Amino acid sequence: MNKALRNPITYALFLLPALILFVMFFIYPTITAVYYSFTNWDGVSSTMKFIGFKNYTKALGDEAFWKSVLNNGYFIFFSCFIQVPLIILFSLLIANVKKLRGFYKTAVFMPSVMSTAVIGILWSFIYQPEIGLMNQVLGIFGIDPIYWLSEQKYAMWAILITNAWQWTGFYVVMVLAAILAIPKDLEEAASIDGATGVQRAFKITLPLIMPIVSVVIMLSIAGAMKAADIVLVMTKGGPAGSTDVMATYMIRYAITNFKYGFGNTIAVLIFIFTAIITLVYQLVLARRSERIEY
Amino acid sequence: MKKSLTLLLTLIFVASAALTGCGSNNTETQANGSDKGTETKTEEPKKAEPFELKLRHTQVGDAKKNRFAILEEVVKTTQGENEGLTIKLDGVESDINRKEKLRGEMAAGDIPDIFDVFGSPDAKLYAGQGKMLDLTPILDELGIKDKFTGLGPFTLDGKVYGLPIGASAEGVFYNKEYFTAKGFKVPTTWAEWEKLLADVKADGKTPLAGASKAAWVPLMVTNQLWSRTAGPEFAKGFATGDAKWTDPTMVKAFAKHKEWVDKGYFKKGELGFEYAELQTQFVSGEAAMMFDGTWQSSIFKAGGIGEKMIGKVGFFNVPAIDGGQGDQTAMMQDTNNGYGFSAKVAEDPRKLAAVKSFIKNLYTEDMQIRGLVEDGVLPAMLVDKAKIDANVTDPLMKEIATVLAGTTSSFPAFDALVQADVNTTLSIEIQKLIGGQTTPEKLAEAVQKVQDEANGQ
Repeated sequence: MNKALRNPITYALFLLPALILFVMFFIYPTITAVYYSFTNWDGVSSTMKFIGFKNYTKALGDEAFWKSVLNNGYFIFFSCFIQVPLIILFSLLIANVKKLRGFYKTAVFMPSVMSTAVIGILWSFIYQPEIGLMNQVLGIFGIDPIYWLSEQKYAMWAILITNAWQWTGFYVVMVLAAILAIPKDLEEAASIDGATGVQRAFKITLPLIMPIVSVVIMLSIAGAMKAADIVLVMTKGGPAGSTDVMATYMIRYAITNFKYGFGNTIAVLIFIFTAIITLVYQLVLARRSERIEY
Repeated sequence: MKKSLTLLLTLIFVASAALTGCGSNNTETQANGSDKGTETKTEEPKKAEPFELKLRHTQVGDAKKNRFAILEEVVKTTQGENEGLTIKLDGVESDINRKEKLRGEMAAGDIPDIFDVFGSPDAKLYAGQGKMLDLTPILDELGIKDKFTGLGPFTLDGKVYGLPIGASAEGVFYNKEYFTAKGFKVPTTWAEWEKLLADVKADGKTPLAGASKAAWVPLMVTNQLWSRTAGPEFAKGFATGDAKWTDPTMVKAFAKHKEWVDKGYFKKGELGFEYAELQTQFVSGEAAMMFDGTWQSSIFKAGGIGEKMIGKVGFFNVPAIDGGQGDQTAMMQDTNNGYGFSAKVAEDPRKLAAVKSFIKNLYTEDMQIRGLVEDGVLPAMLVDKAKIDANVTDPLMKEIATVLAGTTSSFPAFDALVQADVNTTLSIEIQKLIGGQTTPEKLAEAVQKVQDEANGQ
C-alpha cells in the first residue's frame, strides 16, 4: 500500500478525474472568457473580430462602470463595518441567553434559508412608500415618507439593509458555534478573577473567535463582489443605473446590448478586482489571526 | 505524516466513491431508458417514438391568463395531430425573455424550438445568423402568407422568420366614472389635454399612473410625445443617421415629459414601481388615466383585476400638439411580437411537421377573433370586419376600434427602429430625467453619442 502511494503515477491517476473537472469547468471557461474579452463578438454571429484592449478601455473609461464598482465597494464596506460588528453582537447575546437559545438561533437563521427572490419581494412591500412597514414605523417618529426604491440616494441603502438582513443569520450561526466551542473554564477563570461580562467578551471571547470572524469577513467580501440577484429583484439596477453592481452592469450593457465580447471583459475585470481584494485582505489581515488551540 | 496520509486516503476514497456513484447512476438511467424503449417497441410496434418540442411563451401572470388558455388549447390540438409529440411549455416574463434569457440562449446555441420573440431588431438579428427557421415555405404551403397585416418586422431579405401573434396600439385609458362625476371631457386639443391634466391634479388625484422601474413604460409616453413634436416618421432616421436625437423637436418632447413629471402629473415615486402597479394605480382609482397598450384591455374583463371597472373605462388618442410635425393623429401600432422557431427544427422532419401544425392551429381567423374577444389583442391577420363586429360586444374594445379607425397613420415603437445599445442608454437617461439628474438637452446628447457609435459599427 505504502509502496503504491510512493509511485507518482498513482498520484497522478487519482488526481486526474478532479483535474479534468477543474479544467473543464473552471480553467477552460476562464480562458475562453479572457479570449472573448478581446473580441467584438455579439453573442449570435459565428464571426468576430479581435479588437485588442478596446473593450477594456471602454469599460474603464465608462463612468457608469465605475459607479457599479463603487456600489460593490459599498457592499463590502457595509458588510465589513456594519454587518460584521452586528453579527458578533448578536452572537454574543444569543450565546449568553439562558432560555430559548434554540429559538433565537432559528429565528436569526430563518432569512438565509429563504430564496433571494422571496426576500426581494418581501422587502419591496416593507419599503412600499405609502403602506410599507418601514415608512409606517418612521412615521411614528414624524419622519415623512421616504421613497426607498424610487430615489437614488436611498435605493442603495435599501438594498444593503435587505442584503444584510438576509445573510446576518447565516454568519451568526457560524460565529455562535465558535463561541460555544470555547471551553467554559476560560470564562469561569476570568470571572473568578473579577472580569465583568463586557471585559470577558472583549478580552476572552472576541480574540478566541477571530479566526472565524476572519472567515466571515472573507465570505462577505466574496459575496459582495458577486452580488447581483438581490439587486436584480429589488431595483433591476435602477433608478437610472444607480444601484448597478458590476454583475448587473454586465447584464445591462453586454447581454441586452448584444455585446458578449464586452460582457466577457466585465467578467474578467470582476475576476481581477476580486482577486486583488482577497489577496490584499489575506496579506494584511487574515495572516494576523493565529491558529488557536486549547 | 500519518495524519496527512489518512487525509489523502479519505480524499481519494470520497472522490472515487463520488465518481463511481456518478458512473453507475448514468449507466442505470441509460439502461432504463433503452429498456423502456425496447419494451414499448415490442408491445406496440406501431406507436410513434415520443419526441418533444420546447415552447417558450411569455403568457405569465393574471393579465395574460386568457392568452395562455388559447395557447394551451393550440398546444393540445397540435399534440393530438402529431403522434408522440409532447410540447413542453416554458413561461418567462416578456421583458426578461426578450432582453436576457433568449439573448443568452442564442449565444449558447441552446434555443427553444418555438419561442416568443420580438421582430425588430431581435428576430432579424437572429435570422441573419441562421438561428431561426425560414417560414416562407410553410406559409406558402398553408396558404396564409397574405393573411397577415404586417410581417415587416419579421422579414429579412424577403424571407419570413416569425409570425406576429397580435397587434397592439398605445393610448390613454381613462376612468369614465370619475370623468362624469367631475364633468371632465375627453380632450380634443392639446390645450384641453394639458388643462385636463392640471384639473385632475388640482382635484387631488394622480392624473397619470406611473410605474417606471422598467424604463420602457415611461418611454411609451415619451415616444408618443415625440411622434407629435417631431413627427411619426422621425425615429426611422436615427439608425441611418438622417435624424438626430438632439433635434429641437425631440428635445421639446423630452422637456414636455419632464415638465409633466415636475408638475406631479405622474404617480409620485414612479421609479420604484413595477409595471403591474401601473394597472393597480388605475384600477384602484388612485390615478384617473393611464398611458398603456391595448394589450391591457384584457384586465377589464370578467375575472381580470379591473373587473369592477367593466364598462367604466374609456380610451382616447393623445390630441394634436400645436406646432407639431407630421400626422398628428398617429398612434404607436405594431405587430412586433410573436413566435419564432429554431433553425434546428428543420433537421428533424417530425419536429418540422409539428411546427407546421402549430402554425396552422394558432394562426387562424378564429383564433385571432378569439384573441380579440377574450383578450383584447388586436388581430395581426386580416379578419373579416363583419365577423369582428358580430363578435366584439365589449364596449372598451369597441371604443378602441373607433379610436383606431380615427387615426390616419401609425408608427412602430422606437425600440424596433434603433440598436439595442441606444435603447439601453435611453432607458437609463429617461429614468435620470424623471429622477431629476439630467436635463432634456443632456439626455438627447447622451443618446445621440451612443447612436453615433452604434451607427458607426
